[in-house]
Amino acid sequence: MTHLAFYNLIRSNSVKIGLLFLFLTGVISLFIGKQFIQKQKQNIADTAIYQEEHITQNVKFHKDDMGLLLYYLKFSLVNEVPAISGLSIGQRDVNSSIKSVTIRGLEGQKHDTDLNNPYNSLLGSLDFSFVLIFLFPLLIIAFTYNIISEEKESGTWSMVAVQSKSLFKHILKLFLIRIALILAVLLLILFLAIPILGIPINVDFWAIIATSVSYLLVWSGICFWVVSLQRSSNFSAVVLLAVWILLIIILPAAANNYLVNKYPVPEALETTLKQRKGYHEKWDMPKEATMDKFFAHYPQYKKYPVPKDKFSWLWYYGMQQMSDDESLESSKTMKEKIKLREKVSQAISLVIPTMHAQLTFNQIAQSDLNNHILFLDHLDKYHEELRLYFYPKIFENYPVKNENWKEFKPKYASITHTVNWTNSILPLILITVIISLISFFNLRRI
Amino acid sequence: MMNSEILVAKLFWKAAFKNKGVFLLTFFIGLLMVYAAYSGRKNFKTQNEIRAKYQSEARKDWVDNPNKHPHRMAHYGHFAFRPKAPLSVFDFGMESFLGNTIFLEAHKQNTVNFSEASFSTGMLRFGEISIAMILQVLLPLLIFFLGFGAIATERQNGTLKMLLIQGLKWRTLILGKSMGIIAVIMTLFIPIVLTTIFLCTGFQDMNTSTDELLRLFFIIVFYFIYLVIFCVIAVLISAISKTSKTSLVSLIGIWLMFIIIIPRISQALGASIYSIPSKAKFESAIGEAIAKVGDSHNPDDPHYKALKDSLLAVYNVDSVKQLPFNYSGYQMKEGEKISTNIYNQHYSQLLDIYYKQNVFSRVISFLNPFMAVKNLSMALSSTDFSSFLNFQKQAENYRYDLAQEMNNLQIKHISNEAKGSSDKNHILDKKHWEEVEEFKYKPTSISLVFKSEWMSFAAFLFWIGLLVFLIHKFSKTLKAI
Repeated sequence: MTHLAFYNLIRSNSVKIGLLFLFLTGVISLFIGKQFIQKQKQNIADTAIYQEEHITQNVKFHKDDMGLLLYYLKFSLVNEVPAISGLSIGQRDVNSSIKSVTIRGLEGQKHDTDLNNPYNSLLGSLDFSFVLIFLFPLLIIAFTYNIISEEKESGTWSMVAVQSKSLFKHILKLFLIRIALILAVLLLILFLAIPILGIPINVDFWAIIATSVSYLLVWSGICFWVVSLQRSSNFSAVVLLAVWILLIIILPAAANNYLVNKYPVPEALETTLKQRKGYHEKWDMPKEATMDKFFAHYPQYKKYPVPKDKFSWLWYYGMQQMSDDESLESSKTMKEKIKLREKVSQAISLVIPTMHAQLTFNQIAQSDLNNHILFLDHLDKYHEELRLYFYPKIFENYPVKNENWKEFKPKYASITHTVNWTNSILPLILITVIISLISFFNLRRI
Repeated sequence: MMNSEILVAKLFWKAAFKNKGVFLLTFFIGLLMVYAAYSGRKNFKTQNEIRAKYQSEARKDWVDNPNKHPHRMAHYGHFAFRPKAPLSVFDFGMESFLGNTIFLEAHKQNTVNFSEASFSTGMLRFGEISIAMILQVLLPLLIFFLGFGAIATERQNGTLKMLLIQGLKWRTLILGKSMGIIAVIMTLFIPIVLTTIFLCTGFQDMNTSTDELLRLFFIIVFYFIYLVIFCVIAVLISAISKTSKTSLVSLIGIWLMFIIIIPRISQALGASIYSIPSKAKFESAIGEAIAKVGDSHNPDDPHYKALKDSLLAVYNVDSVKQLPFNYSGYQMKEGEKISTNIYNQHYSQLLDIYYKQNVFSRVISFLNPFMAVKNLSMALSSTDFSSFLNFQKQAENYRYDLAQEMNNLQIKHISNEAKGSSDKNHILDKKHWEEVEEFKYKPTSISLVFKSEWMSFAAFLFWIGLLVFLIHKFSKTLKAI
């Protein structure tokens, strides 16, 4: 009987076309992810090449003046793009994975953007997370919405009712066959991702699989619930599509509008104005205004004399330092605001499975906003290291030729991340269980 | 002759409002519309207040500078904050993906930073709720829900045969049913239009320009055509479907293709064929090109050596110190000109790649009216990329003028004896800072829309022609069973 139901299903042309379409878009999404990863890798490789050229050329131009040389030199920090990011590009296309900065004030350089075609972001990337979150549910809907109603409408329902010992089991069986088929396509795509994207089989990969399956279970639950209402095919189709639109378009978009209006980020503009003033106004002040603060920040440099009546790099970099020191407060508030946004959207996503799946995917694929904030933290640290390394050399006018410039290659930020299994899967499983219980209750009565 | 169409339409209208589901959906979309209007308006107000505040603060900082060397002021620079267009209340367009803050300084073209997307947690991927989005995405679906049974149900019930036997023409049936759906949709469209007019003009203290009114007019006209297109598609699909279920499933399929799938596929295609260079490569190419022509930061640069020699010869002096004007200012003026030209060349090449990437999404409008209306609506609302580029251009022009004005001041007023810009003995009076005009963004004129969106207009024409042709053809070939 199960065999028969299975063969009956896959004999249907529309089922074949549906599965094939899903499989093909899934595979295309993998190649889009792969292309994205390769592009990022290319960007990183370019950065390494041009950084070397840039340093060599400037070292040649400014061979006698360490201070002037460091005015120009840019050093890059890279937020490595793991292969698994190819499954969920997330915020990686908007937020740059490479930051190149001079040792001058950081705030003025930190938020410089990459070259981006905004039209790409507007229409959104066709990555695996899109195929999973948007398209898979549609196929579940298409395969299951008329399980009962079709037989009722074609007049075969009474025959089924007479022949089956348990109608409930019969429906459940038909339903499970369809879900199993769709899950098989999902797993096939994900396992193809291993060779195509070169994803290592580790905890991240299993977490992606677990989240994907849980997400599809939610949709199976929703479909099962609508089927259990035993209404007409048209009614079920309309209701399910309405649920799909509500979960995929309306609720997340409404949540986004809410977040944008509730937490605007004027601190970004505040910070950028403050950092400019913090540095530039020092040119018109007595040197003490800069140096007292600078030496309070870095007492170890007190030993260097500040020439009273002429320009010195010590004073100059002291002024640059002030742009960061004096915009620190608003920069911190800005970061807090962004973290708050992250927290609130996590909270909202607990009840909106589509959003939850997207955010979880981004977390696992290290393409979420939090990953970018951590990257910026690493940038802060790297920038500070560079300053501490070069400050004394500048202040002593260390000979440029004595430095081993070959060593200054782009540095990789090592951002650690762990999979939070409970947060990733539990909300999805809970929703599935609740809806399934309601549906079982509905169907017990047939 | 028109009377029978109106009769068919009237009957459709009556039946539609008896359907509880339609009533519920209409009500729900209405509610959503209120939210969209509220949140669009709020965002517009908050963002423009923030940007205006910091724009004036930046100006105040500039003017408050004490007497100093003009080159210090060129580095002090200025900010341009991109104001949101009034019609962005209606259509958010690309707003969220576009930066709004740019620092304008000498020698350097900075990026426009702090887009909403850069603060986004990933939710933005699902889209935003704006009035335009409701019109573009949700109303077509409502139309399909309303219209899937328009003819298919009559066929299924057997009433279609009776209608045709009674002498009703296919053309009358198709036109009448389409008009019926349009009439029902107008109960949402008209309030939406009125709200939009009120939101976008009422709040501007009646200062709405003719340009804006014209934009609004076009928005209303083209959204109307857009909705009519979907009404006709619904009726035509319903007319060729054997059962109402097939009709519904086909229409849902069309909607998904138009709105969810095709746009992403076409853009993915463009983006994968044409690749944007890495920022490192882009910047290095500019640096290299500048070094070839003349690098004012390279002391041995041949271009500047020649420039210096020719000046010395003309003024018949043997060192730049004896020139009657400030040589270093003169050199920087030349440098700014060269580097800006080169930057603009490279930037326009980059924009060319963007343009090529977007070509598929534009051409696809001929297959997908959703893309036509999306592009046109953004452009009319000044929330598209062309409007953004216009801001960026104005900001860049301001930056260039500012830098050159400071260079001119230096050439004219600063002595050749000055030891660089930190020399306190050679400074300029602060009254000059106020003479620099404040950056003021001038909104683009609607003529830019006609230029950048001709393809969307053409796509609309194409769709109208196509549907008229199909109605004509189907009227002759359709069967009752």
